[in-house]
Amino acid sequence: MSSFELFSILVVTLYCLGALTVFAGSISKNAKLKQLSNALTITGFGLHTVLLGYAMALNGWALPSGYYISMLSWSLLLIYFFMWWRFKLSFLSLTASPLALVLFIGSFHAKGASQLPKAWSGAFFGLHIGTLFLSFGLLAMAFGAGILFTRLDRKIKSKEPLNDFEKEMPALSTFDKVNQLAVVAGFPLYTVGLVTGFIWARIEWGRILSGDPKEIVSIGVWFVYAWLFHQRLVMGWRGRKAAHAAIWIFSICMFSLIGINIFTTTHHSFLQ
Amino acid sequence: MDRDIYLIGLNHKTAGVEVREKFALTDCKHLEEGVVPVDGCIKEALTLSTCNRVELLVVAEGDNAIEHVLECWAKARNLPVEELAPYVYKHKGLDAVTHLFTVAASLDSLVIGEPQILGQLKDAYHDSVDKNTTGVVLNRLLHKAFSVAKRVRTETGVASSAVSISYAAVELAKRIFGDMSEHSAMLIGAGEMAELAATHLLNNGISKVYVANRTFARGQALAEQFNGEAIPFEQLFDQLEKVDIIISSTGAHEAVIRAKDIKQVLKKRKNRSMFFIDIAVPRDIDPDVNGLDNVYLYDIDDLKEVVEENLAQRQEEANKARRIVDCETVTFNKWLKSLQLQPTIVDLISRTDAIMEEELAKTLKHIPDATPEMEMHLREMINAISKKVNHEPISFLKRRHEEEEAGERYIDITRRMFNLDRDNVTEKAHPHRRR
Repeated sequence: MSSFELFSILVVTLYCLGALTVFAGSISKNAKLKQLSNALTITGFGLHTVLLGYAMALNGWALPSGYYISMLSWSLLLIYFFMWWRFKLSFLSLTASPLALVLFIGSFHAKGASQLPKAWSGAFFGLHIGTLFLSFGLLAMAFGAGILFTRLDRKIKSKEPLNDFEKEMPALSTFDKVNQLAVVAGFPLYTVGLVTGFIWARIEWGRILSGDPKEIVSIGVWFVYAWLFHQRLVMGWRGRKAAHAAIWIFSICMFSLIGINIFTTTHHSFLQ
Repeated sequence: MDRDIYLIGLNHKTAGVEVREKFALTDCKHLEEGVVPVDGCIKEALTLSTCNRVELLVVAEGDNAIEHVLECWAKARNLPVEELAPYVYKHKGLDAVTHLFTVAASLDSLVIGEPQILGQLKDAYHDSVDKNTTGVVLNRLLHKAFSVAKRVRTETGVASSAVSISYAAVELAKRIFGDMSEHSAMLIGAGEMAELAATHLLNNGISKVYVANRTFARGQALAEQFNGEAIPFEQLFDQLEKVDIIISSTGAHEAVIRAKDIKQVLKKRKNRSMFFIDIAVPRDIDPDVNGLDNVYLYDIDDLKEVVEENLAQRQEEANKARRIVDCETVTFNKWLKSLQLQPTIVDLISRTDAIMEEELAKTLKHIPDATPEMEMHLREMINAISKKVNHEPISFLKRRHEEEEAGERYIDITRRMFNLDRDNVTEKAHPHRRR
């Protein structure tokens, strides 16, 4: 077994235990389990960072092919840790840990993009990947926050008694702040991600669009995202509507990432 | 002679308010020796008196301790014992311990889980310590009671949710807004409950309170009380743009605030959330307001329902708490029993032996070619040391036990000095606990 494989298995184990303990901790309201879960996920994240760094070092400091989904899983946790630090929102680990785990396991079946970046166009390619992954991470958090917001909002409005799990939840406004960040920071990042992708395609392939299904879906998502950006910033959308929009956008993104890879052929394929 | 813990008292369940008033001992703090003087058969004593209960806790010898305590109590109030006796409960031994733990953990309170009783018990204890009426048993018992109360508070939900209307409103506001310091509130009309809610909001860090009252002068007076700002009633809707929490309690016969008004306000506010608390009857705020996005409306009945649910839940949690109390009573009983001479001597010897054995094993590891004969000699040596080291303290304890009444105290000191109960006493522990 190579040290790469050993490392990967270790990361999977840590993420898996992290995801299990966060669920167990949330259901049993056990603070110690939640702390344990955070410790496990942080350790896993540390090893994951080393793993990615090592792979990049071997490849002349560029992300080697086959590591994209692993990188996405890493970005997701990075964003989660940011939310945790910024809003004290440990609650979102309910979304982050399992999603990071699934993506990381998915990354084992990954292969590289069909054409690899050359020379200076690599900068556009890196930017393309990095910004999109960060905006996915932000959207994932807004997705989790949106689901929890909708649930708590409905309960408070209908005056139903809260169960123990809901009593532990942070305030509605905190969930809305996550949505705010996903819109204010996530949309510009997504835009940069799309534009750099087009520039790279222009340089490498000589054409901006190649009719790839993922390109079409991504442009569609950009329009929905832009609409949410406008509604939130100009029309003052908040709360339930913004939460629902984020849930939809993230679902479409996940569909375009996984669904299209499985059911159609695309030059964005990361899967075998 | 046999020594035991007795607890004699009355509370809101056994006696009506007029009886409780008559036999309250709240004004007896000036008594230099306490209500029950430590004298004769009474070895230690503590008096707790609040508006809902009187508890007299003593450690006493002999059979007539209860009668003696009742007499002291009646004497302190200048009333005959016969008048007091029918309302009083009497607990002895472990029952007394359980009862004290139950009281300290606020499981016996009128509103289960209310936090005042623990503070009152602590005051009562400090008072007894000042009067020097507590000893080994009560010191330990009270500190145990405080820790039981803390355990119940952290491990169960008996004190977790609001059980008054105004607290329930504040709790909901926190659920919606989180950090209160970025938000402001407005009182429309004045009333006792509205004022109470405003006070709770201020205590929870709300930034500002506005008051809109039909009589401007009355509004101004109220605003001053909260360090807030009075606004003319006619400008109410302009002000709604700024405030997040609205507590309404006017005497108006029809709705003061309607959904279509709030729609306009929301547009101006860019949909920042609003929380309406309508405690007026008839209601001030159109129920349709609750249908708007980012607006939450609770009327008096909704809040009452929340409070009732929370009360029911506290009852449920109280059962969990009672199990903790039972468990801790058993632990305390173990300690109480160990306060006798024989078990302490046994513990002391076995503690020393355990240490010696451990060290012997370590030493033998370093001598790989130790013969059985050598090991035998070493063992004989440590046994001799153990016996000789323990000889003096044990005969000292025996002498004290026979000669003086203070035998218990020396046993307690010995147990602590050699940490025979394997307690974890941290540096931060209370001085009485460390003493």
